[in-house]
Amino acid sequence: MKTEASNTYSRRFFIKSSSAFTTLAFIPNSVKSFFYQVKEKFFVKKQKIPLSVSINNKEYRLDVDTRTTLLDLLRENIGLTGTKKGCDHGQCGACTVHIDGERRLSCLTLTAMIPGKEITTIEGLAKDGKLHPMQEAFIENDGFQCGYCTPGQIMSAVACVQEGHTGSTEEIKEFMSGNLCRCAAYNGITRAIQKVAP
Amino acid sequence: MDYFFEKEVENNARGRVEAEEKVTGKAKYSAEYDIPELAHAVMVGSTIAAGRILNIDIANAKEAPGVIDILTHNNRPTVPGIATEEAWKKSRFSLPVFHTDKIYYNEQPIAMVIAETLEDATYAASLVTADYEESEFETNFKEERDSVETIETKEEKGSRENWQNADHIIEREFKIAMEVHNPMEPHATIADWKNGELTLYDKSQNVYGVQGNIAKLFDISENNIRVISEFVGGGFGSGLLVWPNTVVAIMASQHLNRPVKVVLTRPQMFTSVGHRPESWQRFKIGADKSGKFLGCYHQAKHATSSHTGHTDNITGLTWKHYHFPNIKTEQEEIPLNIPKPTWMRGPGDASGAFAIESIVDELCEKLDMDPVEVRLMNLSETDSQGKPWSTNYLNECLKIGAEKIGWNKNRKSKPGELKEGEWNIGYGMAVGFWNAGRQDADASIEMKPNGDIIVRSAMTDIGTGTGTAMQNMAHNFLGIPKNKIAIELGDSDLPYAPSQGGSWGLSSLSGGVAAACKSLKTKLVDLAYGSKFEKGKGNLKLVKLNSDGISMEDDSLEPVSYKSIFDKNNLGVLNVKASSSPREEAKKYGFCSSAAHYVKLKVNKLTGDIKILEMVSVADGGKIINDQAAANQVIGAAIGGIGMALMEKQDIDHNHGRLIGNDLAGYHFPCNADAPIIDVSFIDKPDYNRNPAGAKGLGEVGIIGCAAAITNAIYNATGKRMRDLPVTPDKILMA
Repeated sequence: MKTEASNTYSRRFFIKSSSAFTTLAFIPNSVKSFFYQVKEKFFVKKQKIPLSVSINNKEYRLDVDTRTTLLDLLRENIGLTGTKKGCDHGQCGACTVHIDGERRLSCLTLTAMIPGKEITTIEGLAKDGKLHPMQEAFIENDGFQCGYCTPGQIMSAVACVQEGHTGSTEEIKEFMSGNLCRCAAYNGITRAIQKVAP
Repeated sequence: MDYFFEKEVENNARGRVEAEEKVTGKAKYSAEYDIPELAHAVMVGSTIAAGRILNIDIANAKEAPGVIDILTHNNRPTVPGIATEEAWKKSRFSLPVFHTDKIYYNEQPIAMVIAETLEDATYAASLVTADYEESEFETNFKEERDSVETIETKEEKGSRENWQNADHIIEREFKIAMEVHNPMEPHATIADWKNGELTLYDKSQNVYGVQGNIAKLFDISENNIRVISEFVGGGFGSGLLVWPNTVVAIMASQHLNRPVKVVLTRPQMFTSVGHRPESWQRFKIGADKSGKFLGCYHQAKHATSSHTGHTDNITGLTWKHYHFPNIKTEQEEIPLNIPKPTWMRGPGDASGAFAIESIVDELCEKLDMDPVEVRLMNLSETDSQGKPWSTNYLNECLKIGAEKIGWNKNRKSKPGELKEGEWNIGYGMAVGFWNAGRQDADASIEMKPNGDIIVRSAMTDIGTGTGTAMQNMAHNFLGIPKNKIAIELGDSDLPYAPSQGGSWGLSSLSGGVAAACKSLKTKLVDLAYGSKFEKGKGNLKLVKLNSDGISMEDDSLEPVSYKSIFDKNNLGVLNVKASSSPREEAKKYGFCSSAAHYVKLKVNKLTGDIKILEMVSVADGGKIINDQAAANQVIGAAIGGIGMALMEKQDIDHNHGRLIGNDLAGYHFPCNADAPIIDVSFIDKPDYNRNPAGAKGLGEVGIIGCAAAITNAIYNATGKRMRDLPVTPDKILMA
């Protein structure tokens, strides 16, 4: 019914008939500089604070950029690269660590939030040179392929057992679904957890 | 047959060679190397889909703390291979990155901030802005699809007239959404260019490919480039090419004379390292009353990027696994203002199989025949050139799979007959098929006086178990215990290997490892026995290497310890290196891997939800070198098939020409709860015409056909034909 009108204002028409500049180009410089001034005001400037954190039972005294996530602290600042960055947005679980014994996403945790808490990463799971039973179970059940999501899977798996979410295959699968594996080694991951579960 | 290694490869390995490194976090992926003075770089993408950059404003960003420099097309060092339009076209590189003011697609890199820390670089990158002159763009595949005609891909076999009066003719259209590889490890590069020597820690499936391409682009010698990809966090095809992120990291390192690290953000993973292009297919099939296929006419179109091409060979499979007396295939690409697509697991064939395997299911219903029976009677006995298959056990895969899922016992041939409360239950099946390729590959072995060996190859391990397979093969070819065999791989300083893609990795590598093992035996025999071994007549097959030394299986010669061999000849270590190529004789045969996929699922009548209950995949991958890793790979591929069938779709906002929801919350692939425990088994029969290990590739066949097996099961459950992937609940409810 309104074909004529909608044709007139199609995107194609708009682009062809407009002077073909993006909106940004139309914004006067005064408005732009106002925008940046506002942004400057509201964005916290780079700031370093002294912190003392405990990771894998080791105390670190650090001067930390307040913007640094726990994930980037581990990977970029103190050389614990076992914790992985898959998405940096809490969508994949690759960065899972234990904070005070519970599974948490280190990409959604600022370093400034962790003093006074005990952090355990994949590097801290093996004790006295002996692999954690979950690590052994992942090897035995081939619970990985490329290995990139594996540290997060194992940290989650250990917590999953501690939480008591291992009643059935379905329950394990449900409670391990925050940890994505694109290789989809889900058979092995699930079997490994069943092996360790009480 | 004068083939040296006929011994069957042992099948009993447990645990991968690199397993402990992976479960303890010690495994180092590309972004994780600790390099002194490392600078961090973050790329800035365009905010328009087509046009020209008028001005890039980097002033604010430059003032941000920690910023070292910002690269744009105005100040970057010149890369000869993309310096001019002509050079770029010749190099066939995917993008003249930072060498043009032209914008070809949204999020095309236009600048890169290099700073002291990741936080500094990330913040400063948010301050870079640009003014553009925007031009007309096109991102809508559906809108543009009809503007281009398909072109014949291959000379027609027979004629369409031959089957125009066939008893049964069906013609259908199929659509598949844009899919993105999304390996869990984001692509990352550390480039360190010092004193004319370039070291690259690069996420790649092909270290020699990166070395060769970078040498050409930067016009430097391959000898001055070392590419290390020891651990690769998944690929699925995204790591087969060199992408702009690697090139800009090198540019930055060259520009600053400092090592520079670039790690893609997850959203950048959707626009920077390829995707499976959106596609459309029309398939027409004809069969006689008995179910014999008489002919087919297969047309396909898929999206590609307007600035550089990519072909997904969607109609290739049509020539392979079934016998059609008459075949016509046509294809064309639709150029759009989108990032470059590339090969993604089962490239072309995974898309083509959805059409073929779906329409065969429809045909079977029309014929009132069993889909397994119809497939069995139409399997091709030769490859498309008429050469006999060296080995092809697809028929066995079909029968075993049917037995395992209880096809004849449990399945109802009429749809909608199995119910459970508000759920409809259905069974479906389809097959996968892939050319079993092999390429040239070298390998080397170093032996120490105590008998420890290191087997080396540049081949990467993207998760398939390359290193474990090398160890298994070396153990079986030589006899040396596995705990004395170390593996080194993923480094261009190591012996040549092709890319790890196209399911030819292990197939190629086995040739190299076998040849190196033969060289080692020959050399040791020569050093230990000299002429006593009767050179030429002596049978190397009888030579055994154990923990301590060399002996003859028939005891014809005295055992000699490695130590005495090394001492006598005053050797510190013993090195051998050997090359391998596909055998001449192989030209007589066609080679294929294949799989049969069976699915049981339920569909909710009220919500359209689909739950996969059982999935059985039976694959012919020749001799299985490591059953656990092989099964894992096929499980992963089958679950990839669930993603393709039910979830994976990258949307584009066509008003702005931008991807939307391009992260792991917006783009869904299966999580643990989305998949059942997958039942995988193998035929496990060797194909020694292919390579000395008798193994055929398994990477692709696991996904090819899976989507159709699932949609066929949905039909069996609901009576609704789903020809548009992914099948989300809304499509079920609206059908």
